[in-house]
Amino acid sequence: MKKTQYLGLAIAGIAAVAYPHIFRLPFPHHLMIMVFIYATLGLAWNLIGGYAGQVSLGHAVYFGLGAYTSTLLLMKWGINPWLGLCAGVVVSCLVALLVGYPCFKLGGHYFAIATIAVGEMVQQSWLNWDWAGSAIGLNLPILEEGLKNFEFHSSKLPYYYLGLVMVGIALLASYAVDRSKIGYYFRAIKGDQDAARSLGISHTRYKAYAMVLSAALTSIAGTFYAQYVLFIDPDSVFPMMLSINMCLIATLGGLGTIWGPLIGAMILIPISEFTRIQMGGGGTGIDIMVYGLLIIIICLYQPRGIIGMFKLFRK
Amino acid sequence: MALLELHNVSKSFVGLMANQDISLSIDPGEIVGLIGPNGAGKTTLFNCIAGFYPPTGGRIVFDDEDITGLPPERICFKGIARTFQIVRTFKDMTTLENVMVGAFCRTHSAARARKKAEEILKFAGLTEMRDQVSAGLTLAGKKRLEIAKALATDPKLIMLDEAMAGLNLSETRQAVELVKKIRDKGLTVLLVEHVMEVVMPISDRVVVLDYGVKIAEDTPANIVKNEKVIRAYLGEGAYAKSQ
Repeated sequence: MKKTQYLGLAIAGIAAVAYPHIFRLPFPHHLMIMVFIYATLGLAWNLIGGYAGQVSLGHAVYFGLGAYTSTLLLMKWGINPWLGLCAGVVVSCLVALLVGYPCFKLGGHYFAIATIAVGEMVQQSWLNWDWAGSAIGLNLPILEEGLKNFEFHSSKLPYYYLGLVMVGIALLASYAVDRSKIGYYFRAIKGDQDAARSLGISHTRYKAYAMVLSAALTSIAGTFYAQYVLFIDPDSVFPMMLSINMCLIATLGGLGTIWGPLIGAMILIPISEFTRIQMGGGGTGIDIMVYGLLIIIICLYQPRGIIGMFKLFRK
Repeated sequence: MALLELHNVSKSFVGLMANQDISLSIDPGEIVGLIGPNGAGKTTLFNCIAGFYPPTGGRIVFDDEDITGLPPERICFKGIARTFQIVRTFKDMTTLENVMVGAFCRTHSAARARKKAEEILKFAGLTEMRDQVSAGLTLAGKKRLEIAKALATDPKLIMLDEAMAGLNLSETRQAVELVKKIRDKGLTVLLVEHVMEVVMPISDRVVVLDYGVKIAEDTPANIVKNEKVIRAYLGEGAYAKSQ
């Protein structure tokens, strides 16, 4: 990295740490926490969709599994949410392999369709699963606040910093992938699968790596969401719109780039939150319409996303 | 001791016999030309050796090991690299990155892959284009890049599928020089071309396919006098006139 990049990184870091002390109201804190959750999701999706070029529209499954695994473990057996987070990652990775393996044989659009089908099946099954709260959902038990219990009631500030750490982990993971063999292999598979195979790349193995990494990060965001909102139901953690949002955020920001999904989330989530407030309940869907418009503009004028635009300006 | 041996390799698609009982052997350090009119089954045979099509019959032995039916990635790992007739570079990646993908076949370290890729770019005369996105290269550049990617996997045998088709005279000459350099490095080359003028001067041996069957195998000097080959290329009438 160049000096200017280190400088930019340092400024962004300081700004992120200082932000909640400059804007002290709960709403700006909530806004950024949502940005962090969605940025993590976008970064996670970017690994399989952006780098490896496999468009998954069923990623909400891993978000929901992360949220439900930690919550159910906590409610049924009193297991600490941090352990629940790890368990959620394990469950999501196993499901990712189980679902992914047969799907990887499918090319292009058929992979996307298969992931939609899996996502819908999981959501519909969960709606009817009484033991796991069915359609009513689960209220997380209120525990003594503190880092140990992963619950904070008097202030959103701890969630803000934990969210920041989570995004940091997702960014580091993306950076590590981008610079290493697997990143090159992901991009080669995306570029031309047959050519990649002729250079010794096992496409099923590397797609599985991408899927597992992506599912693990998505699952972490799921547990974080459950611990933050303290209520989950299938409509909030398994909806297809969530899978689509992950894809939109990564696409808007810049597919296959380290910073793209973060930038995408910083643009889309505020739009979504503000339109929700302005329009109240009646405005549901306005944010999606704005998304749609933005995506069309990006697709038409700069398919490489906002990061691509920056690179163009620099030249 | 042959490096690659084909024993009665056949490949049929529904209703079409693309390769029929083809046997041949290639010794280490040779340049072997595989020629034949369009549709003779050259590319199919290539795809069978490279693992893209499992042969419907016969055996393929490489380096004393039966590799029949292995997937392409395993075959590359065993030491056979190939290029594609229609260039298939990774468009969004730079020239250097394209070659690095090949180099990662033998190492996990990005630094080592980069070093190896830089050496190969130099060998293939592509150093000046190293940071150019590969979609922006000329056809000759892309064909060279195809060869560089294949070389980066450290093969024992490199199979070039029409690596010179579509190039002009001086570009072709440079490509021929590159093939000779590759041989001089100790690699074995299997060359598919349907341009006779390219194959003849550089090949040690030429194998001719027609309608999926091997019709001749000989030194270039004898191949051009072979009556079956003249018939296949020029037709019966031309053969009769030449007598």
